[in-house]
Amino acid sequence: MLLQMDSITKKYGEFSANRGIDFSLRAGEVHAIVGENGAGKTTLMRILYGMEQPTSGTIRLNGKEVSFASPLDAIQSGIGMVHQHFMLFPSFTIAENIVIGNEPGAGAVFDRKQAVKTVEELCEKFGMKVDPQAIVSSTAPGVQQRVEILKVLYQGADIIILDEPTGVLTPLEVQELLEAIKQLSKQGKSFILISHKLNEVLDVADRITVLRDGAVTGVVDKHATDAHEISRLMVGRELLELDRKPITPGDKVLEVTDLSLRGTKGKPVLDAVSLSVRAGEIVGVAGISGNGQSELLQLISGLAQPDGGRIAVAGKDVTGKAPRDIRESGLAHIPEDRYVWGANRTATVMDTGLMGHHRRLQKSGLLKLKDIRALVSGWVQKFSIKTGSLETSTQYLSGGNLQKLIVARELEQGTPFLIAAEPTRGVDIGAMETIHGELLKRREEGTGILLVSSELTEILKLSDRVLVMYEGRIAGELSAKEATEEKLGLLMAGGTLQ
Amino acid sequence: MNKWTKLTLPLLQPVAAIIVGLLAGAIAIIIAGGDILETYAEMWKGAFGGMYFFTNTLSRATPIILIGLGAALAFRAGFFNLGAEGQMVFGALCAALVGLYMPGPGWLVCIAALLAGVIAGGLWSVMAGYFDSRFGVNLLISTLLLNYVAVLFAGYLVAYPLKDRSGSAAMAQSEMLDNSVWLPKLISGMPLHVGFVLAVLAALIIFVVLKRTVVGYEIRMLGGNPLFALFGGVKRGPMMIGAMFASGGLAGLGGAVEILGSQYRYIDGALSTADYAWTGIMAALLAGSNPIGTLIAAIFLAALQTGGMGVERNTEVPLEVGDIIQAVLILFISARFTYSFLKRRKENKSDGTAV
Repeated sequence: MLLQMDSITKKYGEFSANRGIDFSLRAGEVHAIVGENGAGKTTLMRILYGMEQPTSGTIRLNGKEVSFASPLDAIQSGIGMVHQHFMLFPSFTIAENIVIGNEPGAGAVFDRKQAVKTVEELCEKFGMKVDPQAIVSSTAPGVQQRVEILKVLYQGADIIILDEPTGVLTPLEVQELLEAIKQLSKQGKSFILISHKLNEVLDVADRITVLRDGAVTGVVDKHATDAHEISRLMVGRELLELDRKPITPGDKVLEVTDLSLRGTKGKPVLDAVSLSVRAGEIVGVAGISGNGQSELLQLISGLAQPDGGRIAVAGKDVTGKAPRDIRESGLAHIPEDRYVWGANRTATVMDTGLMGHHRRLQKSGLLKLKDIRALVSGWVQKFSIKTGSLETSTQYLSGGNLQKLIVARELEQGTPFLIAAEPTRGVDIGAMETIHGELLKRREEGTGILLVSSELTEILKLSDRVLVMYEGRIAGELSAKEATEEKLGLLMAGGTLQ
Repeated sequence: MNKWTKLTLPLLQPVAAIIVGLLAGAIAIIIAGGDILETYAEMWKGAFGGMYFFTNTLSRATPIILIGLGAALAFRAGFFNLGAEGQMVFGALCAALVGLYMPGPGWLVCIAALLAGVIAGGLWSVMAGYFDSRFGVNLLISTLLLNYVAVLFAGYLVAYPLKDRSGSAAMAQSEMLDNSVWLPKLISGMPLHVGFVLAVLAALIIFVVLKRTVVGYEIRMLGGNPLFALFGGVKRGPMMIGAMFASGGLAGLGGAVEILGSQYRYIDGALSTADYAWTGIMAALLAGSNPIGTLIAAIFLAALQTGGMGVERNTEVPLEVGDIIQAVLILFISARFTYSFLKRRKENKSDGTAV
C-alpha cells in the first residue's frame, strides 16, 4: 500500500469535520472521494497535504509513519495537490509557471531556455501537450489545468490530489483530462480525485470512497457499483426519481426578438438572438461560458441595455425598462453569480432573503417583520439551509447554503416567468434534488423557465427544449427527445449537426 | 459566535481607539509640561462638570449630531456625501434670512426658518447627486468642492449686501435675529436649546426607518451591494436623490438650529471654525453609520472640544490636546476601514464551493 490514512479525526471545537476516517491508496491507482458539501472531503485532503493537523490518527507513506507540518513537507514526500481554483501567474509563460520554486539556472540567473526544454521533456514523458512559451492568461481552462498537473509532476509528485478538477472545463476538455489521468496512472502515478460528478468518477476511478457527515459510508470498487448506489451512500437515503410530466405549453411568457449587443472588440456579444419560452415549459440554454449567455440574461432582466431587438415578458414589452419594472411584469431570476447579484454579504440572512419580497410584505411602508421571519425560516427548513440564525451575516453562509437561500427566494416570487442560471452550482446532491424538484413543480404549475447551465446533465434532465449558444448566436435547437450530450457538445464547440 | 462577543465585538475598535487617543493625549500633555491627571480632570470638568458645562456640551453637540446623522444616512445608502459643511452653511444662511425678513408671529417664523434650512441644505446636496447621476461627476469630489462655493458665497453675502451695519464692529455678519424667533431654551439660563430635542428625535426616527421600513431596507441593501439592490428592483436614481436630500437636509437643519438656538445671526466663518461639519462626519464614521451610535459619538466628540476649552481656561496646556486625541481617533478609525477592506479581499479570494 502506497498511502495509508488510519482513523483520521479532525475536530474544530465541538464540530467534527472528520470522524475516524480510514483511507488507502495503491500505487498507480485512481481513488475518488465523493460526498456532499460538508462531508469532510476537503478537510481530509488538507490534512494529507499538510495544511491542517489531524486531531488524532496516523498517516503512513510506504509503510512509514509521516507527519506533514506544511505543504512543503508533503511536496517533498511526493504528494502534490491541484486546487479547485487555479494557482497560476496569468501574465507569465507556461514554462515559468511550471518551474517556479525550483528554477533551472546558475546562481541568480534564470535559464529560460533550459526551463522551456525541461517542460518540453516533461510534456513528452507524460504525454501531455502544452506550448511552454504561451502566456497562461491566453490559454483555455483545459490547458491551465494541464499546467497545474505538470507543475505537480515537475515537483516530483507520485501522489496527485485533484480537487474538483472539472468544474471549469468544457465537455471536450473534461474528456482530455480524464484521458490524461488514465495515462499517468498507467505510468505509475497515483491520483486522489475529489469530485461530485459521478459519471466522471465512474469513468476514471478504480475505487471510490464515499463520505457522509465526516465519516466513511462506503469504499466501493468501480466494477461492483453504479451511480445509484454511490448517491445513496452519499445522501444516506434513496433519491427520488424525477418525473417530467407531459405538459402542453401555454402562452409565451418570454419572447426575445433579434436581440443584439455590441462587444468591445467589434465582434458582437449577442447577434440577433431570438427565442421564446412558453408557460409550463423549461427551455435549457447550453453553451460554454462566455458565448453570450450571461449577457442575454442581463438584458432580459434589465441589468444592461441592448443595442437592438425587443424583449417581452408575460406579453408586455419590457425593452429598455428598469429591473424593477421587469420584475413587476412577471420575472423572477436566480442569478448566475450569487455574490455579485444574489446577495448582500454584510446583511443578515433575513435581509438577503427578503429582496424582492419587501415591497409585498409591508403595511404603509413598515416591514411586516413577523411575516418576513416566518417566510424566511420556512425556506431555511424546507431547503435545510445551514445557518446559525436568521440574524447571521450572509457572508458566513457556505456557497451551497447561500445558493439554496437565493433559489428559495426567487421561486417564491410566484411569477409567470423564471430565469434559472446555474441553479445548482455548488450545492450537494440532496439540495440539487430539492431544487430540481421545485423547478419541475413550478413548470407543472405553469411557470415558464429559462434554464442556463453549464452542466449538460442538468440541462438534459429538466429541459423540454434545448438551445445551444455559440459566439453570441443560437447555434441550434433540439427537443428533449433529440438532445444528447454528444450532439450538444458538438454544437457547443461550434460544429453543426448533419 | 455567542451573544456576548457579538454585542461587544463592534465596540472593541472604537473603545480601543479612544484609549489609544487618550494615551497619545497624555504624551502631548507631558510635552506641554502639564500634569496628566490634572489636565484630564480639567477636561472632564470642562465637558461635564456641573449643569452649565454639561448643557454647553450638549448644545455644542446638537449641530454635530444632526450633521452626523445626515452623513450616516448617505453612507448607509452607499453615497459618500462629504458636502456637509456647504449644506450646513446654506441651511444656516437661509434660516437666518427667513428669520430676519419673513413677517409673521415669532414661532411661525422660527418653524419656517428651520424648514428653509432643511430645504436649502437638501437642495444643495441633491445638486451634487444630480451631477453624479446625469454627468458622472464623482460625488465625493463634487460634494467636497461645493463646500467652498457655499462657504465663500455665504461669506460674500454677509460681507457686502447683507452686512450688519448697525453695530460698530467691522465683522462680516448678518443682523441679529429678533428674539421672538429664537429657539426656546430647554432650561432657562443654560445654553441648551430645543434643537437638541430635534436631534435626538431625528436619531430615533432614522434608526426606526433604517431598521423597520421598506425605504430603510432598500437604503441598506443599496449601500451593502448596489448590484444586488439593482437586481432586486431598487431604483438607484430616486434613492440617490432621496438619500442626498435627506442627508443634506439634516446638515442644513444642523446649521439652522445653530443659528436659531445659539448664534442668532450668520457670522462668516463661525460655523466652519467650530468644525461642526467634519466633526459630524467623524461621528458617523466612528459609529459605523449607526444612528444611535452617531448620537453618542457626536456628544463624545463635542465633549472633547468643550473639555479642551476647559483645559485651556484652567491650565497651561493648550486647547489642541483635544485635537490631538481626535486626530489619533481618526487614524484608528481609518485603520478599521483598511482592516475590513483587506478582510473582504481575502474572502473574495477563497470564494467558491469549499468542502
